[in-house]
Amino acid sequence: MTTISPNQTDCLQDRYGRRVAARLTDSTDTLPHDITERLRAARVRAVSHRKIARVQSAPAIQVSGGGATLGFDTEGLNLWSRLASALPIVALVIGLAGIAQYQGDDRAQELADVDAALLVDDLPPAAYTDAGFAQYLKIASLTPVTGSHQQP
Amino acid sequence: MSPEKSPTTETSLATEKELSDFLRGVERKAFKRSLYHVRDDEAALDIVQDSMMKLAEHYGDKPPEELPLLFQRILSNTTLDWFRRQKTRQALFSNASDFESADDDGDFDILETFSGPEGSTATESAEDHVRRRQVLIEIEKEVQALPARQREAFLLRYWDELDVAETAAAMGCSEGSVKTHCSRAVQALGKALQAKGIKP
Repeated sequence: MTTISPNQTDCLQDRYGRRVAARLTDSTDTLPHDITERLRAARVRAVSHRKIARVQSAPAIQVSGGGATLGFDTEGLNLWSRLASALPIVALVIGLAGIAQYQGDDRAQELADVDAALLVDDLPPAAYTDAGFAQYLKIASLTPVTGSHQQP
Repeated sequence: MSPEKSPTTETSLATEKELSDFLRGVERKAFKRSLYHVRDDEAALDIVQDSMMKLAEHYGDKPPEELPLLFQRILSNTTLDWFRRQKTRQALFSNASDFESADDDGDFDILETFSGPEGSTATESAEDHVRRRQVLIEIEKEVQALPARQREAFLLRYWDELDVAETAAAMGCSEGSVKTHCSRAVQALGKALQAKGIKP
């Protein structure tokens, strides 16, 4: 019997194993039609369920039409990124509320000034409810000022 | 998903077409491999279909070069799960004979058996074709008769052409175990086929 080394044995075994396995490949060419069709259907179904990668990519220059824009892939934004993107809207709402508040205060101040002027005037406010005084004011507004005032 | 992605993202991950092409290339072999294990067409189809689905759902975004090993591992695990569900794992996978040494090979001449001619390129006649089919059937019988772990190692190592490390990873065992399983499988096949006068 010929003496061979362990390496040679491994090599011969590998060669033999590959030869036997190569014969098995013939069996895949003779599968029944219904089996190959079901394998094809299974493959199509699996591919339709393929996992889509969620990748946080760096800002990429995206060329579309004739121009290029610098944009972010927004698919992978986390919670903080989404909150940060809402900050401008929040700032706008707060600004509008501030303006509305300021204008409301200004109008109230004007009315308060009118009330104060009426109260500190020599003429009592009750005079404005008098029909005769109202008639006088009406006539006075129509008559040109001559320098002398008539008292009611 | 934005239709415009950076080039680095597109080149590293498997596209839908790459995944589909990969599955088309391995589906028949995967079916036969499962069939050698479970010996039932319907079960083998179920195993391949489940394996394809698991690969697509969980690893469909992996680089194309990682798909073969991932698929082999998934196929092995799905086959094992099938045996577990069939409650026959004890009989098929824990059989002590699966791991017994084939030491009683005293009269087995490795040179005589393994050093046959490489594939002939002669034109195949009808008679040759029939003989070839018969040889294939006998080889399939002997492969199916191998202990489960030896059969798994043999098919991964020589049919799917994984190296020892990849086979070990797919089977979840050491490289030494893979070498042992492969060696015993080849010895067993060599003896059985030699006894039938078959030289592959």
